[in-house]
Amino acid sequence: MHPDGELEALMVRYQRGDFAAATALIQRLSPQLHRFFAVQFVSRASADDLLQETWLRLHEVRHTYRPGEPVLPWLYAIARHIRVDHYRKSGRTSAREQSLDETPEMPAPRAAPAATLTMEEMLAPLPESQREVIQLLKISGMSLEEVARATSSSVGSVKQKAFRAYEKLRERLGKMGGAS
Amino acid sequence: MRDGELDDILKKTAQAQPDPDPALLDRIAASIQPNMRPVRPLPSARILNLGIYCASLAIAIAIAAKLGFFGVRAMSGPQILILVVLPILLGWGAAEWIAEMIPGSRPHPAPGTFLAVACAALAALFAILFRDRVTEPFVSQGVACLKAGLLTAIPAGLAGWTILRRGFAVNPTNAGLAAGSMAGLAGILMLELHCPNFQTWHVLVWHTAVVPVSAAIAALTARLAGRRTSGRA
Repeated sequence: MHPDGELEALMVRYQRGDFAAATALIQRLSPQLHRFFAVQFVSRASADDLLQETWLRLHEVRHTYRPGEPVLPWLYAIARHIRVDHYRKSGRTSAREQSLDETPEMPAPRAAPAATLTMEEMLAPLPESQREVIQLLKISGMSLEEVARATSSSVGSVKQKAFRAYEKLRERLGKMGGAS
Repeated sequence: MRDGELDDILKKTAQAQPDPDPALLDRIAASIQPNMRPVRPLPSARILNLGIYCASLAIAIAIAAKLGFFGVRAMSGPQILILVVLPILLGWGAAEWIAEMIPGSRPHPAPGTFLAVACAALAALFAILFRDRVTEPFVSQGVACLKAGLLTAIPAGLAGWTILRRGFAVNPTNAGLAAGSMAGLAGILMLELHCPNFQTWHVLVWHTAVVPVSAAIAALTARLAGRRTSGRA
């Protein structure tokens, strides 16, 4: 079965009250959801909390998934909502302070080979919206339309963000290649 | 560096990320287990749209019938066009609202864009179709129409909300904006059926104003409600 079809089938079983399907979804989708939060410069503990909060919310609103529709855009739309709520609660100032505290561990212009960079370091120079698009497109493996659905934007806007992000990443990795 | 090489680097870097602790995943599964009852998925967007559309149309017509169909009786041939455009905008508004209430809906214009397009289209139509440039009494009649339009928008919005109450707005402000725009369009429809004042500035300013005012009130209400909900969570 196609992976998306499999997710849809699990979601339908989950809506019918099948706990095994819920567990399978949690096991299968949590790693990529965890990465989704971790890439936004939150600590591992915060990413854990956000993951847990997201699943609780997904469980609460699982009836809003409509069978036949792709699962990932629905899931990420809710995960984004949780993340925005988290930002609002923690306050932008503290988020900035936290990212500054972490700066010595992930210097942006480090002259290291691309392969040694962590995901956070690699995506660090990108604005949040571009980082999110790159993550959903390239790491979660969603299509342009699915990303547009998840981020409530148009396909054109997703394409533009991805294009700009790739330009910045190419430039950055090119510089690193030259330096190393 | 080519796009393919960049894709590979990104994928490899992502794979190197540590996975969440398996104990955490077990805890998450255990936390939802006690509440594993079956749920009924939301109906299709078409059914929801039909429900909201019919409810708001019925409310606008019922209120106009109660107040009297003076407006539609006084309309000349081309002015009837407004009664064709308004139901189309109403359907679009309902679709916008539904998309905001179902996470991961198909890409659609932002509610702010819809509001701007609807207001611009109505203002242009009013300016073309209504040529009476007299503006007396501008404020008193205008405020009465704005009030009547908003009082129609309230039940239309509540009826729509009843239909969509099981939805989940990932962006409450946008959902409120879409809801208020749709409800405001029901208010204008009622005014066009009822109000016999065809002075250009009256319809252009006071009738059109029902949509942005209703949208602003609904967006503000939804924002405050969203904050309260997330604060409680």
